[in-house]
Amino acid sequence: MLQLSQIQLAPGAEAFDHTFAAGTLTVVLGRNRSGKTNLCRLVAGLACSATGQVTLNDRSLSVQLPQSRSVAVVFQAFVNYPNWTVAENIASPMRAQGVAWRDREARAKQLAEVLGLEAFLQRLPNELSGGQQQRLAIARAMAQQAQVLVLDEPLVNLDYKLRESLVLELQGALQQAGTAVIYTSTDPKDAFALGDELVLLDGHTKLQSGKPLEVYRYPQNYMAADLMSDPGVNAFTTQATLVAAARKAAVRPEHVYLADSARFDDVSEFKMEVQGLETSGDETFIHGSVDGNSWVVRRPGMVNVKPGQRLAVIVRKGDIMRFGVA
Amino acid sequence: MTSLVGRPWLSASRWLLVVYCLYLLLPLYWLSSIALQTNADITGDFSVLPQNPTLSNFAEIWRNPVWSSAFVNSLSYVVLNTLISIVVAVPAAYVFSRYRFLGDRQLFFWLLTNRMAPPAVFLLPFFQLYSAVGLFDTPLAVALAHCLFTVPLSVWILEGFMSAVPTELDDMARIDGHSFGFFFLRIFVPINRGAIGVTLFFCFMFSWVELLLARTLTGSEAKPIVVTMTRTVSASGLDWGVLAAAGVLTVIPGIIVVWFVRKHLVKGFALGRVS
Repeated sequence: MLQLSQIQLAPGAEAFDHTFAAGTLTVVLGRNRSGKTNLCRLVAGLACSATGQVTLNDRSLSVQLPQSRSVAVVFQAFVNYPNWTVAENIASPMRAQGVAWRDREARAKQLAEVLGLEAFLQRLPNELSGGQQQRLAIARAMAQQAQVLVLDEPLVNLDYKLRESLVLELQGALQQAGTAVIYTSTDPKDAFALGDELVLLDGHTKLQSGKPLEVYRYPQNYMAADLMSDPGVNAFTTQATLVAAARKAAVRPEHVYLADSARFDDVSEFKMEVQGLETSGDETFIHGSVDGNSWVVRRPGMVNVKPGQRLAVIVRKGDIMRFGVA
Repeated sequence: MTSLVGRPWLSASRWLLVVYCLYLLLPLYWLSSIALQTNADITGDFSVLPQNPTLSNFAEIWRNPVWSSAFVNSLSYVVLNTLISIVVAVPAAYVFSRYRFLGDRQLFFWLLTNRMAPPAVFLLPFFQLYSAVGLFDTPLAVALAHCLFTVPLSVWILEGFMSAVPTELDDMARIDGHSFGFFFLRIFVPINRGAIGVTLFFCFMFSWVELLLARTLTGSEAKPIVVTMTRTVSASGLDWGVLAAAGVLTVIPGIIVVWFVRKHLVKGFALGRVS
């Protein structure tokens, strides 16, 4: 169990508290510069916080060097030792731990098989593709058998097909018994695909945490709703949709329907100035503005709409999220 | 459509290249040619090829202890200088590439300014100092004096290469549990071996051809080859053949060094360009 209490992710930022339970994968979701990498570096001991405590199973890590913490890290960039073969790279942490040569080799081979690298054991990292290099970095981190495994946006530099296949592979590979896995990402999809738990970060502070679906259904504030939505949520400013206590209200792009093709009871209707369309065949994103706010409508299939058109869209009242404070 | 097949084998640009290569090689050829002739042939009629080729000049160098010891002296201070420079510059360059500290940029620039001063500036202080501590006329004296120029140069070259190695690699080694010593010697230095090869080459070349300090800081005991070559006037006049043979032998170590580090040189220079 990794416990962070009263940690500052950046000078002057609000204190950060969270407990990462053993045996669970926690996805830390946030935009760029929201403090995800700082959090990883803090846990690994590569950076330090002016305040607070990091404890692992009730043992303080604050004064321990990275070498003596039981924390493994996979960096965003594909970092491997360029002069060592794949087998030597995977065996590197075991070499530092003084594991016998024969055991090292056997375990390296086993991990290479898990991550689909068994054919490249004698190659150098620069002879591998990007995806293989990152899998190598993951294999090396797993070889450490640390109590905490930190993955700092491990798939961000890969193309999306590879990313999808690696996410599926990771699902299986990361289920190491008793390891607290911290996985940072900017993509809410990762949270649903991998996360047992979810932590939302914004501006170096924690917005919300919980099960991914819970956070999706009941965001505590506008920023949390926006982070969990891809593309971001559509904001309301018209008084009609805001109940008295709410300061801000929003609706997800997938909960906005075209008035002429949907029939619901209890809806609000809006006029949308269409500015542009984005279609991938199976889905269409309609970009436009409603009452001066930028909106995105996400509809399945192809939609016959032209830029410049005034489009009637409807929102079910039950889908509107209202927040007390912005 | 132009066909690549019908292209003339020797276009104008190729001819230019051939002429340029010949121009570069001409002095070397002439030196080798003189080294293979007797003094009488050299001062006799002009001929492009040696008339009566002989190895007697080389044999003379082999026999005469003045020449052979001069070679040993030169090699010993050059090797010493190269070793000291690398051993000092590799950690220094690492620190400059990895840490920010008070005055780091100023210190780095100051290293370079050492290169801006002509060696003659340092003649008197070195001479006086070495005479006082008993270092005068030893290979170590010349090696240390050359370090004043080769260490800054080495730090300058190595820093560029090392800065191109991502700092995540250092972090990763720490997380993997490796000590700093293990990381530095087993991971970081091998990664930078190309850069070290390039640096080695520059140190060697500087020290091998430098004349002024080498001449001033040595007397009879540690006299290097470049100095001996400037003092070949004997009672019978100038010994052209032996001088040329010594010149040929002086070029050889450079060729050997380039041969060994050629791969790293190409790679090193290429790396230096992109970083």
